[in-house]
Amino acid sequence: MKIVLELFGASRDFNEKGHIDFEIQKPILIKEFRKVISNYLNEKFKGNDSFLQIVKNSAFCSEENEIISDNYKITKAQKISIIPPIGGG
Amino acid sequence: MLHTKIVDTKKEQIKVSDAEKFIASSKFGANIYFTGTVRNLNDNKEVTGITYDSHDEMVIKSFEEIYNETEQKLNIQDKAVFIEHVKGYVKLGEMSIIIAVACKHRDQAYVLSRYIIEEIKKRTPIWKKEHYIKEDSQWLKGNPIKT
Repeated sequence: MKIVLELFGASRDFNEKGHIDFEIQKPILIKEFRKVISNYLNEKFKGNDSFLQIVKNSAFCSEENEIISDNYKITKAQKISIIPPIGGG
Repeated sequence: MLHTKIVDTKKEQIKVSDAEKFIASSKFGANIYFTGTVRNLNDNKEVTGITYDSHDEMVIKSFEEIYNETEQKLNIQDKAVFIEHVKGYVKLGEMSIIIAVACKHRDQAYVLSRYIIEEIKKRTPIWKKEHYIKEDSQWLKGNPIKT
């Protein structure tokens, strides 16, 4: 199944298109998906610790615009947003 | 009574006059306008502007949640609240946010205005990329959202 990771804030530097597509074989927990993203970044931007820190410190948001916990299971193809630490106003 | 909007700076401007029109009512005796603007110095770096990024749906949802919870948490029933935040590039000195509130009494209006901006800082998914005269542009660190 295809998971489209929508990028916001500092994570926009991961990909200029504003999203990254992941092909995942089976249902996956957010905490596992976090590792998949980190592995992708490790491969693409070797040694960029600040990118890994962003993933570590981010929350995630479902297609229904709900903040989801590390134990939320993604069971179908969908968009997931990464929500790095915020700072509006 | 609530108005919320994300203002895309590529298409339009954020305006206090819109807030004035929205909260104007003879029902309310106290009006407060809070505006946030881009300031010239941050961490000893000379700032030229800020690019704001926004998860639009979540931002509007958080504005509505903040507004709705003020009835119970602050015990303020009668009120008008106008919240607009920009996304896109904002130059030095220009506005990034307007929070206008109108209540029956001034105590309520001050409390309400302060509550709204503090909660936005804590939980509304908006991000700032600062641009400087000498250094490279940089995303500001921000606060992690609690899950």
